[in-house]
Amino acid sequence: MMRQQDEVYAKLAAVYDPELDEPVTDMGFIEGVRIDGPEVTVYFRLPTYWCSPNFAFIMAEDIRNRIMELPWVNDVRIQLKDHCASDEINEGVSKGKSFFESFPSMSNGGLDEIRHTFRVKTYKSRQERILRHFIQSGLSHTAILNLTVAELSNYPGLEQDTHSLIEGYFAVRSEFGHTLKPGDTAFVRYDGQLIQPEDFSNYLLEIRRTRMSMEFNSNYCRGLLQTRYGEPGKENETEVIKQ
Amino acid sequence: MYRTKNGEEIFVIDSHIALWDGSPENQLNVHGAQFINCFYDYHKNLSPEEWVWPKEKYLKYDEETLVHDIFNKGYVDMAIFQPVYLKEFYKNGFGDVEKNSRLAQKYPGRFISNGTFDPRAGERGLEYLEYLAEEHGIKGVKLYTAEWNGNSKGYKLTDPWAQKYLEKCEQLGIINIHVHKGPTITPLNRDAFDVADIDDAASSFPNLNFIVEHVGLPRLEDFCWIATQEANVYGGLAVAMPFIHSRPRYFAEIMSELIYWLGADRLLFGSDYAIWEPKWLIDKFMDFELPEDIQKETGAELTLEVKKKILGENAAALYGIDIEKQKEMLKNDQLAVAN
Repeated sequence: MMRQQDEVYAKLAAVYDPELDEPVTDMGFIEGVRIDGPEVTVYFRLPTYWCSPNFAFIMAEDIRNRIMELPWVNDVRIQLKDHCASDEINEGVSKGKSFFESFPSMSNGGLDEIRHTFRVKTYKSRQERILRHFIQSGLSHTAILNLTVAELSNYPGLEQDTHSLIEGYFAVRSEFGHTLKPGDTAFVRYDGQLIQPEDFSNYLLEIRRTRMSMEFNSNYCRGLLQTRYGEPGKENETEVIKQ
Repeated sequence: MYRTKNGEEIFVIDSHIALWDGSPENQLNVHGAQFINCFYDYHKNLSPEEWVWPKEKYLKYDEETLVHDIFNKGYVDMAIFQPVYLKEFYKNGFGDVEKNSRLAQKYPGRFISNGTFDPRAGERGLEYLEYLAEEHGIKGVKLYTAEWNGNSKGYKLTDPWAQKYLEKCEQLGIINIHVHKGPTITPLNRDAFDVADIDDAASSFPNLNFIVEHVGLPRLEDFCWIATQEANVYGGLAVAMPFIHSRPRYFAEIMSELIYWLGADRLLFGSDYAIWEPKWLIDKFMDFELPEDIQKETGAELTLEVKKKILGENAAALYGIDIEKQKEMLKNDQLAVAN
């Protein structure tokens, strides 16, 4: 039982809020998990009653899809509480319906476009944190733009935090289909284009805005969730809800 | 009036206040309860502890409380009502233009009582806008694009009817369009906070001013982008302000970003009263300095001149207020005497 719970939580830790680029587990969005044999119910909550239903749906769908990957699971139910679209989301995601099927009169398509928009933001924001680190450490713009994937991965003297940032950046970079061969240029635009040295300052301002916005939102959401549901304890994160 | 340590007087216009009724008696449904609860969470989460109101008071407060908090306690010389109706959630509306206007009449020269419109009200709404302009002489409207209306869960400024309303505003001399973006705008598969429609409206109506409340948060980057393209787009600082207390570094980053992209002439102070009270926001803002490293990144400065613009001069310019004349007019009124 304990092992199954850990497996479920490991899957949940890989589900990110698309707008904040933070795992739902770190944000305190998971209230608890119930396991009944091959059925898993995830109790899920958000900072406000009005949080965008599309983001809520994306997270709920990702929660379901990730947990369904576990070989012993054959059904995942979502229980999003205290939300203006709780019923549609819980019913829709638990039955494996698409977003459009769940909100037929309120949408005119699926969520691919919005997912893409926010993956681009994630790309920029993850990249900015690393670039910022190198700029602050005094490396020149040209030297930064000339770094290869191998040089970035093996850059001497980096802290563990920076290594994690690099891993995160490489992961989203792969999602966009750019290769990670040792000799590839480490920092490219999300569409794969090289960044020209003369454009670099403007590019930095642009991605800085994105990083700031995401960081700001995640602080806001964290604070509101805490006000709404109280201080998140370690217990909450591993709590098993029993019937 | 705020007085600096050197005795300099700063004229303050709070560009975003409300007199609301979120009481259970006025709530129509669970959405009404959740709406005011959410407001209360904002209030509790971002106010310094000693400024947190009891829930009971927060649900519904009276006019005297508002006048006292804003003008007596809060340094504010003039305040702008930005009403939101939410008639799907509240029996008599959350805000009320008539109530605001009565208060404005009681304290001449102290309030600007803005109206509101909902483009989904069709022809009748256009007539109502005429009434607001003729009867109340409104110069501005507050739009809540996420307002529910029957099956519709919001509208965009690019909708054909919204365009008609903006044309009407232009004809009637209602030149200041305050736009608040909230979530749950259909179609739901798009970004609910997208500010692109403001970009379109601002280019189509160059004679109107578009004040984006909450500086487009949570889409600050998109807001900065459109605001650099359109000279008639302004940023209302309500909601960004209280971060000065809980997250001063974020506040500094946001301010430096906004001053860099929009310049010091297009930012307006707003407390969002009663979500936050102006007194503590203004005290902290006047004492605030941008940390050196943040200042270095964009080169933007938050000088006393900039603060004066943000706290009053910019709003005065939008609403055609001559600050010196206004000071003269207000200096012996009942509120000034009470101070």
